[in-house]
Amino acid sequence: MPSWRPLLTVGLLLSVSGCSLIGGLRRQAASPAGLGSENRESPALSGDGRLLASLVERAGRTTVILQERRSGTLLPLRHLRSHQPHQSPSLSWNGRYLALVIQQGQRRQAVIEDRATGQLHPLFLPGGLEPQGLSLAPDGQRIALTVSRNGSTQVQVFDLSGLLEADRAPGQKESGGGPESPP
Amino acid sequence: MRRSLLSGLALLVLLSGCSGGGLRPLPGLNQQLARLNGSKSPSLAGSWLAFLAPRTAGRLQVQLIDLARATPVPLPGLNRPDAQPLSVAVDQRGEQLAVVRQREDRTELLLYRRSLQSTQILPMEPAGVPRSVSFSADGRVLAVEVSRGGIWQIDLLELP
Repeated sequence: MPSWRPLLTVGLLLSVSGCSLIGGLRRQAASPAGLGSENRESPALSGDGRLLASLVERAGRTTVILQERRSGTLLPLRHLRSHQPHQSPSLSWNGRYLALVIQQGQRRQAVIEDRATGQLHPLFLPGGLEPQGLSLAPDGQRIALTVSRNGSTQVQVFDLSGLLEADRAPGQKESGGGPESPP
Repeated sequence: MRRSLLSGLALLVLLSGCSGGGLRPLPGLNQQLARLNGSKSPSLAGSWLAFLAPRTAGRLQVQLIDLARATPVPLPGLNRPDAQPLSVAVDQRGEQLAVVRQREDRTELLLYRRSLQSTQILPMEPAGVPRSVSFSADGRVLAVEVSRGGIWQIDLLELP
């Protein structure tokens, strides 16, 4: 068998699966979330890279969705079918927690959905600060927010250890995933 | 008796308002951060906070803070005077930073390795214009928001 044949086979397999290998990187387009081509924005990966949160248009409203990265399977979110537009999703290590900014009446509100318990935690910021974007620490014990004050933005960090259990990598204390995580 | 009950109740309400529903500010760090008016786009992983902070003349720069020491960490070779960063993401070890930046007439995605002080441009394939980037905390996968033909798409890049 010619020596180039295995390479050709791998290349064919990758092109069929929508992947490419360039410069040592393995590339893949995110699995579609619906029919046809649509905008997908603000990607956020879980700490272990297993889950992908992103924003799509649903009935003209910017809505967060959660998928398994490899299969594209959509995962249910209990509290996040309303209060659009959604903005700035962020996931913890195993994807137990999904933090994002939602619309609450006239104001923006940072919230965290706990996929293991089904609870929604609103985060009330001090001093009338309004969230513009956020990043949840992978263990869920801190959150960094871009907040607006007097027309300018700044980054502020808050401790969440009094509110959330840690969501650490397997093998570390207090790890735990969402409802579909293996036991 | 009734009056003291009411004042006790008011105190409880006040206290619960101060705690922000379990949200506790980090006073020392936040005072430092509050001095950087115009900062945005935080990425938090492990004991690392990366974000975009104001530099000069409306330009931004990538800044990395070691939260364990509450001190900024130098990033030699990353912030160029002719570049404007748009998005940054850091991994759990604080070793790799992914940055989307505008430079001259193009927008590019790059990977910065702190221990090597090296930057590597990651080309968009097929061609597209990146806008934001997210790291898996384990440092293995990047998710990049890319514009192609007027549509925003997400590319997933597994790092070797």
